[in-house]
Amino acid sequence: MLQAPVEARDSRMNLATEGRPNVDPQQQQLVPAAPAGAEAPAYRDNSAQASIPHEITHGPAFAMLRVDLPPGQVVIAEAGAMVARHTGVAMDVKMNAGKDPGFFGMLKAIVIALIRKVVGGETFFVNHFSASQGGSVWIAPTMSGQVLHRRMNGETITLSTGAFLCSAGDVDMSLKFGGFRALFAREGAFFLEVSGRGDLWFTSYGGIEAIDVNGTYIVDNGHLVGYEGALTFDIRSAGGGLMGMVASGEGLVCEFKGQGRVYIQSRNHSSLLSWLRPLVGG
Amino acid sequence: MQINLLHRPAQALAQVWLEPNESIVAESGAMVGMTTNVQMQTQSGGLMKGLKRMFGGESFFRNTFTAHNGNGELLLAHALSGDMSVLEMTQHGYFLQSSAFIASSPTVNIETKVGGFRGFFSGAGVFVLKAVSQGPGQVLVGGFGGIQELMCDGNIVIDTGHLVAWDATLTYTVGKSGAGWIASYLSGEGLVCHFKGQGRIWIQTRNPVEYGRSVGSQLPPRG
Repeated sequence: MLQAPVEARDSRMNLATEGRPNVDPQQQQLVPAAPAGAEAPAYRDNSAQASIPHEITHGPAFAMLRVDLPPGQVVIAEAGAMVARHTGVAMDVKMNAGKDPGFFGMLKAIVIALIRKVVGGETFFVNHFSASQGGSVWIAPTMSGQVLHRRMNGETITLSTGAFLCSAGDVDMSLKFGGFRALFAREGAFFLEVSGRGDLWFTSYGGIEAIDVNGTYIVDNGHLVGYEGALTFDIRSAGGGLMGMVASGEGLVCEFKGQGRVYIQSRNHSSLLSWLRPLVGG
Repeated sequence: MQINLLHRPAQALAQVWLEPNESIVAESGAMVGMTTNVQMQTQSGGLMKGLKRMFGGESFFRNTFTAHNGNGELLLAHALSGDMSVLEMTQHGYFLQSSAFIASSPTVNIETKVGGFRGFFSGAGVFVLKAVSQGPGQVLVGGFGGIQELMCDGNIVIDTGHLVAWDATLTYTVGKSGAGWIASYLSGEGLVCHFKGQGRIWIQTRNPVEYGRSVGSQLPPRG
């Protein structure tokens, strides 16, 4: 049980390698249509499974994404994530309520948005970028860290709030409540469930490490980027009980069970804040 | 003068080689280290010039480093983690986002300009620097995150917080990011720079103001 994650890490070391922006091994695994050893990355295919042309540069510390929008394609990005765009690229602000939400969907989105505003979390507006004549948009997250591309072919991936950067194609997103226990933690109160077919780019504070879990695995709440596969998880305190939570300094952890992949980030937003807090204002 | 950039891209450090009696003008606080034969002189260039710089988001004083009795070495760094670039002076010069300036050859004249009045609320773009010189010279700029050069052919819109520098051949207007003011506010993009003309633009892959707000808003107030 312990052996599996270690192996997995070795096999995907180059996931975070700089200078190989598009050809992440995961993407190639997931797009079996690409012949083994083919030079052209999968996204250049003209098949229905092809990803939208894009490039991730300046990783792993300060990654930035460029998406080359063909006419008619739309990229949906987290509000405030745009760095630059060609003048011909249009930007429309929309509420992040998922596809065809209907009245109750919108209502739910507003309620959730208000809760997220209170518990902390990102904005509930997203920007839709489209280019009738084609054009590029450059997108980057706020924190220092990596950007990963994930070709979605009908799977579901669950992301921590804040890990979503942008998406393209027939990708649907819905908010998932992490349970009442999770409300005590700044992270983990809500998750974003992403499914469908298309491109997903997600981000991290620090580097992203993918851990293949077969059995159980424990991840600190603040270091969780997302997970996929047949995994369930429980949020609990690291040491067990309230005392263990306070004394260990580890706060809440997610204990995963099953088979799948967990993405973690090498830095933690809450730790940065608690390190800075006593230093502010002297 | 020769500038080598070390520790790129995440934590760039500029190693400046000065020939005998050669100087470089650097932003106050940028010096990391130097050989003992390099002498530092602090000057404001006049009260008004100093004050204008302060309004522009830089420091009141600027330091001139000169190598005496032989070659000298000077190390310079930016306050934020990120890359640096050396811009060779051109006939038209450059516009710089004020906090991007680190150092320049003494032949380069750095002026503070009002960069667009509507930039007032953005935290960036109220004042910009214009670097011009009669002859050859260099400007050292630093960014937050990576620095990417983009070619503009009259067709680029950039978030003001991501700007580092651009060719002075380009004209620009600072304005709202979306179709209307409400949409611009909700989009979270703040203000953007619309560029016209042809030239190069250097952008930084992280936005210092946005980062500061994101972290700072969750910290207790100063006091």
